[in-house]
Amino acid sequence: MNWLPTFLNWQAAAIAAGLAIPALLILYFLKLRRQERVVPSTLLWRKAIQDLQVNSPFQKLRRNLLLLLQLIVLLLLLLALSRPVANYKPGPGKTTVILIDRSASMAARDGNDGRTRLEEAQFRARELVRSMSRDSTAMVIAFDSSAETMQGFTSDQQALIAAIDRIRQTDRKTDLRRAYALAEAQVNFDPEQLRANVEPPDVRLYSDGRTLNEQDLRIKAEVTYEPIGSLSAKNIAVVALSAKRNYERPTEVQVFARLANFGPEPVQAPVTLSVDGQMVMGGGSLQSTYLLPERWTEDQRRQHVEKAGKPPSDSVQFKLDLANRAIIRIEQMNKDGDQLAADDVAHVVVPPPKVLAALLVSDGNYFLERVVRSLGLQKPDIIIPQAYEAKVKENKVQEDYGKYDVIIFDNYRPPTDARTGKAILPDSGSFIYFGVVPDGIKTKAARMGAATQPGAPGTPPPANAPPVFLDDMAVMDWDRDHPILANLALNKLYAAQGLKLQVPLDREVLIEGLKGPMMVLDRDGRHTHLIVAFNLMESNWPLKVSFPVFMHQALHFLALGADMALRQSYEPGDAPQVQRSLINVAGGLEALSKLTLEGPGGTREVPVPPGDRFVLPPLEQVGIYKTVPEITGMEQIAVNMLDVNESNLVPAEKPPGDIGKAEPLGGESTRRRELWPFLAAAALAVLFIEWWVYTRRVHL
Amino acid sequence: MTVQAPATPAAPPDTRKLLLDPSFMARLDQLDLMSRKMLAGKLKGERRSKRRGQSVEFADYRNYVIGDDLRFIDWNIFARLDRLFLKLFLEEEDLSLYILLDVSKSCDYGEPHKALYMKQVAAALGYIGLVNYNRVHLTAFANGVVADTGALRGRRRVAQMIDFIANLEPTGASYFADSCRRFALQHRGKGVLVMLSDFFVKEGFEGGLRYVAGGKYDLFAIQALAPQEIDPELQGDLKLRDVEDDDMAEVSITQPLLKQYKANLNAYCLALKDYVTKRGGTYLFTSTAVPFDTLVLNYLRERGLLG
Repeated sequence: MNWLPTFLNWQAAAIAAGLAIPALLILYFLKLRRQERVVPSTLLWRKAIQDLQVNSPFQKLRRNLLLLLQLIVLLLLLLALSRPVANYKPGPGKTTVILIDRSASMAARDGNDGRTRLEEAQFRARELVRSMSRDSTAMVIAFDSSAETMQGFTSDQQALIAAIDRIRQTDRKTDLRRAYALAEAQVNFDPEQLRANVEPPDVRLYSDGRTLNEQDLRIKAEVTYEPIGSLSAKNIAVVALSAKRNYERPTEVQVFARLANFGPEPVQAPVTLSVDGQMVMGGGSLQSTYLLPERWTEDQRRQHVEKAGKPPSDSVQFKLDLANRAIIRIEQMNKDGDQLAADDVAHVVVPPPKVLAALLVSDGNYFLERVVRSLGLQKPDIIIPQAYEAKVKENKVQEDYGKYDVIIFDNYRPPTDARTGKAILPDSGSFIYFGVVPDGIKTKAARMGAATQPGAPGTPPPANAPPVFLDDMAVMDWDRDHPILANLALNKLYAAQGLKLQVPLDREVLIEGLKGPMMVLDRDGRHTHLIVAFNLMESNWPLKVSFPVFMHQALHFLALGADMALRQSYEPGDAPQVQRSLINVAGGLEALSKLTLEGPGGTREVPVPPGDRFVLPPLEQVGIYKTVPEITGMEQIAVNMLDVNESNLVPAEKPPGDIGKAEPLGGESTRRRELWPFLAAAALAVLFIEWWVYTRRVHL
Repeated sequence: MTVQAPATPAAPPDTRKLLLDPSFMARLDQLDLMSRKMLAGKLKGERRSKRRGQSVEFADYRNYVIGDDLRFIDWNIFARLDRLFLKLFLEEEDLSLYILLDVSKSCDYGEPHKALYMKQVAAALGYIGLVNYNRVHLTAFANGVVADTGALRGRRRVAQMIDFIANLEPTGASYFADSCRRFALQHRGKGVLVMLSDFFVKEGFEGGLRYVAGGKYDLFAIQALAPQEIDPELQGDLKLRDVEDDDMAEVSITQPLLKQYKANLNAYCLALKDYVTKRGGTYLFTSTAVPFDTLVLNYLRERGLLG
C-alpha cells in the first residue's frame, strides 16, 4: 500500500500557485498602508515597540504571523486544488487493459454494501479509471467464456466509465484465455506498444480468479490480479446432472445429480425434482444431501465425519417413468445465504415420444397391416418378403431399411449371411418377429434331432432341420412390470401352434407359456429382437384388445431403446446450430425469415438465414429456451451451468495461471481517498485562527 | 556680552498679550526669584553674594593686614581688645536668571500648545526676573542655540523680552547636547537656569544636561508635555512620523502597546528627575493642560524657584 498521496491535478495547482502566492505577497506588502500621524517624537514609541518585542518570544515569527497564516491557508487551498489522493493501491500505468469478469460466479452478492461481485469489480474499475493520469490510456474488456472489447484504447475517462457500466452479468463460464488473447491482440495492435523500450501494458484483472484452462494462460504484460469476493461466500450448487433412460426399461428415466458445497461450513441441502414445473408426488422426489465444504482437505473431512458421525452424501438419484415430453427440474432448496442462484437449478429435457418409422415385411396379414397403419407411425411401410430379399441381393438393406426404427417380420425369416451365420439386417435397429427366429442370436428355435435345451449334450442339429413346433400354447405368466406388457391381460391368449424356443438364461422371457417361452426379448449388440413364438394367424391375439396395445407399447419401447440418451443440455453462452429443414413450420419453409426465441431472459426475434444451417444466438442465461415455430429435436433447450469451476465462489488468492501479481483479497475496495476536503477544512481552521489573531492583535 | 536681537520682526501685540496679560503681570510683581545657592553676580544687585563686599550685611571679621581699607576697621573692638580687626560685609549682587527655551519642532504640538505654554512660562519667569532687577538671559535652542537676548535687566526690558519670546518660532530638530554645551560655554556666569523643554532627546538628555546640571547653575528643569503625549489618543495601524527628523515608526495601536508607552514615558520622566535631582537641580513635570498661571503661581513657588 502506498500512503503517499498522488496529485491528480497538480498542473492546475501549480499554475494557481504561481499566480496566487506572489499575489498574496504583493497584497501583503501593499496591505499596510498605514495612516500617517505626526508625533513630537518617535522616541518613546520605538522604545515601547522594542520593549514589547524583547519581551515576547518568537517575535520574528509573530511579526509576520498574519502573512504566515495566510500563506498556510493559501497553500492548503492550493494543495486541495491539486486533488491529492491517498492511494491504497498502486495507480494505473501508462497503458492499462482493464479485464472485468462477468461470468456466472460474478453474480454472487458478497461484495461490500451488498454489491454483487460484478458491481464490485465495476466499482473498482471505475475507481481505477478515475485515478488515471491525463496522458495515460486504457481499454476495457469484459469476459466470460468469450471476451468482448467494451472500449478500445482511449484516455477519455468518461468513455471508459461508460464502457464499464455497460457490462452485464452473464451465466457463462470463465475462460480467461480468450480475454488474455484479446487483450494481447489489442495491445499489439497499438503501434506504440511495438517499440523496444515501451513499458509493457498494465493489465488489471478484476475477477474471482476461477477460470478454465488455467494452465494454458499466457500474456505478455504486467498483470495485476485484484481478487473480488469473500472467502465466506456460501454456495451450494448442482455441479453434475445426468439423466438417461433405463437400458432395460426405456420409459424409466434415471436422474443423477451431484451437489457441491462451496461455503465454509457443512450444510444439509434438500434436493427436489419436479416435472414440468410440478413436484412429483411420492417416489422420493425430495431427497436430502449432507455436503462438506469443498475447500476442506481430506483430513478435515475425515475428522469431521469421525466427530459428527454423519457421513457426507453429495449425490441424489431419482427414478421416474416418463413416456412423454417433459422437463425435469432439479433444484437444491438450501437457499440460506446462497450467493449464486444460477447453479441451484438444472434442467433436463425429456424428448417427446418419437414418431416411429416401422417396416412390415409380410405376405399379407390383415391385422398387422391394420395395426401398423393405425398407430400413427411416421413411415408405416409394408413390403413383401420378396422385396426384402431383392434388397438383400442388391446389398441395399442398410441403405434402404436403416432409417426404420422397427422392422416387423411376419412369419418371414430374414435371409442369413452365409459368412457370419447371422440374419441380414440393418446395422442397428429393433425387430419384431412373429413365428420365426432369426439366425445368429442366442435365442434359438428348437430343431428336430437336437437337444431341446441349449447347452445340453448332443450333436448340433443340421442347419436346415425343421423346427420343433409346440401345439396348443397358452399363457402361464407374463412380466406385468415390463413396459411392453404393462397393463395387458394376456391370460386368455392362445396359439394353436408355435415354435419351441431355446432361451439362454441371460435373455428376457416376457411371456411364459405352459409349454415354453412365448415371447422373448433378445438384445444383441445394436440389435434388439422381440421374438413372438407363434404365428399371429394361428392365435386368437389379433382379435383381442391387448394386441394393438401391445403393438403400440412394443414399438415405442423398441424405438426408445434405440434412443436412450436424453436431450443434450447446453452451457450458458452456447449457440446451438440448427438445421433449417428441421423447423416445423406450417407454411412453406422458404417463406420463413425469422423465428422467436423464448427464454428466461425474455423473448427475442431471431432472423433465419436462407442457408441450410444457422446458429441461434448465444443462450446466455440458465433455464429453458424454446422457439416458435418449433425445431424438431430442439423443442426445448435446457441451459445448465453445471460447472464446478464457476460454482466455486471461493476467490482464488493467487493470480490465475500464476501470471502477474495478486493484490490481497478483501482489501480496501476504494482505490484512493480524496484528501481535498480535509485540506479545505484545515484551511478554514487556519483562516479562523488568522481572523482571531487579526482581531486580537495578540502582541503587536 | 552681545545682545542678539531676534531676527524676526516684532510680534503682533495680541501675541504679546497672550504671553502676559496685565492682570497676571500684576500678580507676578509680588514674586521674586529665589535661589537655594548664593550665586555670584556681576553687578551690584539685590542679592546676597558669596563675595565679600560692600553691603549692610555683616559677614565676618578678620585680622587687619597692612594695606586694608581703614574704613572697615571695627573700632569698637579695637577699643575693647586693642587689636585691629577688619569687618567684612557680604556683597549684595544681582542674580542671573537663565531661561533656556526649547523651540524645536517637537514643541509645535499639542492642545494646549506646548510651545505657547512654554513661552508663557518663560515670559512670566522673565518678567519676574526683570522686575526684581535680576539679570535675565533668554536663550532659545533647537538645533543649536537659535536666539539669545543677552542680559536684560530692569522693568524697561520687559517689552523687549516679550517681543523676543513672541517672535520665536518652532524650528528644526533638537541637538540638545550641542545646544547645552554652547549655552554653557557662552554663559560662564552663575545663576538660576530654568530649562523649558519636553526633554525628548533621542541621543539622551544626559549628554546635554551634564553641561548645565550642578556646578554653577541652580537648575530648574521643567518638562512640559501635551496631554496627547501623556495619554495618546491614537488608534489603528499608524505610521508615526517624527516631526523633527521625519523618522517613521510603524505601529499598530494596541492596549499593551499603549500601556508600554505610558510605562516608558513614566520611566523616562523618572530617569530625568533622578538625573536632575542627583545633581542638585529641581525637576518639575507639567502637562500643558495645567494652566500656566497655576504653574507659575503655585507650583514654582512650591518648588522654591519663586518666592
